[in-house]
Amino acid sequence: MALVELKNVCRSFRKGEETITPLDDVTLEIHEGDFVSLMGPSGTGKSTLLNLVAGIDRPDSGSITVAGTEITNLSRGQLADWRAANLGYIFQTHNLIPVLTAYENVELPTLLLKLTATQRRQRVELALRAVGLSDRADHYPRQLSGGQEQRVGIARAIVANPRVVVADEPTGSLDTSTSEQIQDLLQRLNRELGMTVLMVTHDRDVAGIATRRLTLNRGKFLPS
Amino acid sequence: MFGYVLKTLLRHRARTLLTLSGAAVAMFVFCFVGSVQEGLERLTSGSDADRCLIVFQENRFCPSSSRLPEDYAPAIKKLAGVKQVMPIQVWTNNCRASLDIVVFNGIPPEQIRDNRPVHLINGSWEAFLTRRDAAIIGRNIANRRGLKSGDQFTIGDLSVQVAGVFASDVPSEENLIYTSLQFLQYSRGKETAGTVTQLEVHLTADADPDAVASLIDQTLRNGPVATTTRRKGAFQASTLSDLVDLIGFAHWLGYACVGLVLSLVATTTVMSVQDRIKEYAVLQTLGVRPFRTMRLVLLESTLLCTVGGVLGTVVASVALWMGGFAIGAEGATIAFRPSPELILVGTAVSCTVGIIAGLAPAIQAATVPIVMALRNE
Ligand SMILES: Nc1ncnc2c1ncn2[C@@H]1O[C@H](COP(=O)(O)OP(=O)(O)OP(=O)(O)O)[C@@H](O)[C@H]1O
Ligand SMILES: [Mg+2]
Repeated sequence: MALVELKNVCRSFRKGEETITPLDDVTLEIHEGDFVSLMGPSGTGKSTLLNLVAGIDRPDSGSITVAGTEITNLSRGQLADWRAANLGYIFQTHNLIPVLTAYENVELPTLLLKLTATQRRQRVELALRAVGLSDRADHYPRQLSGGQEQRVGIARAIVANPRVVVADEPTGSLDTSTSEQIQDLLQRLNRELGMTVLMVTHDRDVAGIATRRLTLNRGKFLPS
Repeated sequence: MFGYVLKTLLRHRARTLLTLSGAAVAMFVFCFVGSVQEGLERLTSGSDADRCLIVFQENRFCPSSSRLPEDYAPAIKKLAGVKQVMPIQVWTNNCRASLDIVVFNGIPPEQIRDNRPVHLINGSWEAFLTRRDAAIIGRNIANRRGLKSGDQFTIGDLSVQVAGVFASDVPSEENLIYTSLQFLQYSRGKETAGTVTQLEVHLTADADPDAVASLIDQTLRNGPVATTTRRKGAFQASTLSDLVDLIGFAHWLGYACVGLVLSLVATTTVMSVQDRIKEYAVLQTLGVRPFRTMRLVLLESTLLCTVGGVLGTVVASVALWMGGFAIGAEGATIAFRPSPELILVGTAVSCTVGIIAGLAPAIQAATVPIVMALRNE
């Protein structure tokens, strides 16, 4: 059975009189260990699809099952619990909490799980080591470079060992060499830790690191 | 998560400090008003207030105009239900409402020692009993006027030597100066010789205060001056009636202060949450439940309000304790002495107001449309 399964998903938005339907009857399966890249013109609904998988948005119809849980029927509180246990979200801009250090930012998701203090510390240290920032644990986001901030954001997304990691243009606001570092990192997460990744990108080269490339256009997947 | 809330409050240091000080000032006023109310409450409802009668000249209000023959005392003593009668000569520097009122009570010295609820904290009864112009003064007035044992204290044409300073469980006692009855009668000229301002009547345990009061007035109807006898509480309330109205009105000021704290803390919390609405969307994306998000905001507003409020309450209480402030009129005084309960009430009010102030922003943070908030870069 697929890890992520979208069946006949529709999502539309009303803008005044007009109704926009970026996702019209979309069906998709992502398997455990997949690294899926999602490309497509601006405004076709890539982010919308990602947010549906992440459970921070709801479809108008259709069903979404992630790691065996049908998430479309969960309440807002249940969805939060589900995300804490199963989902890692990598934002385009890191969205770190500015008053917390790198360590505390990465620690946040672990506070939501039933872990001992030792387990928690081990996880945070492991995640920071994975992104190569063990020596920056005590730094505040404003003391870090854009690339480092993004790496802390990635550490935060993986610290709880999620089943699925989603990333919305994770390299979108970085220069080429920093972007390459992040690509490396994402590839390692997939290859070495076996994490399932769904990544939206506009960059053909970035999409190249994925094991499976999808293109979304007018609510349909094009074969690539 | 508590650390996160603290750090959030420290992020806008100036805003947090301003809100804290605003809450503190308002709760200071709240506590001040509260202690005045308490003072009034104590005057009119203490155990003294109901079990003790004051005999005054009929239709007179200011102590300087009430003159009762001193020999009314033995006459009253004979009546059923009367345990003891204490003749009191009152002199005050100001018959009208004043914040720095000085009230002398002249009473036979042994009766002061044996019957007034006072105990000396320095000086000696010995010195008071042996010297004609000796006075013992309440702690409040000693603080206010900077007086200590051995000092000479002169006000108007009265001059006394301080033989001791006393404390009392009845706060308004601490605003009084006690001298011997004779001293106060004769230093005021010949006209007050043989007369007293009022008589304080202590009742036996089974006596009905109102019945004894009317009995006293009836008995003395045929004497040289007619009297009005009331319970001490009622007497003080009517003496202070102008102030009572004013103080009654002041409790609205207390409510206004609570409203002020509420709007201040609510404004700050709303601003804080709106500034960081995206942060709450991020937290929820990470898996923080909406209810927990709500608690984070409530904790923020409650912390702000409680710290500020407790600060104001404590500063006000200490200031009022130390300052010995009192307001008085016509020889009766209201002491502004905050009780421990008032501090508790101040703390509870701050805490509750903090929760209420945080409710709307907490709901806003908890129900933030996550995707929309994240889209706003
Ligand atoms: N909350 C909303 N209200 C109205 N319209 C919306 C809303 N969210 C998305 N849309 C519309 O849905 C369409 C798809 O948006 P989406 O953000 O998924 O596109 P995208 O493929 O991620 O684009 P980009 O590559 O520019 O990020 C767009 O036309 C957008 O205007
Ligand atoms: Mg997008």
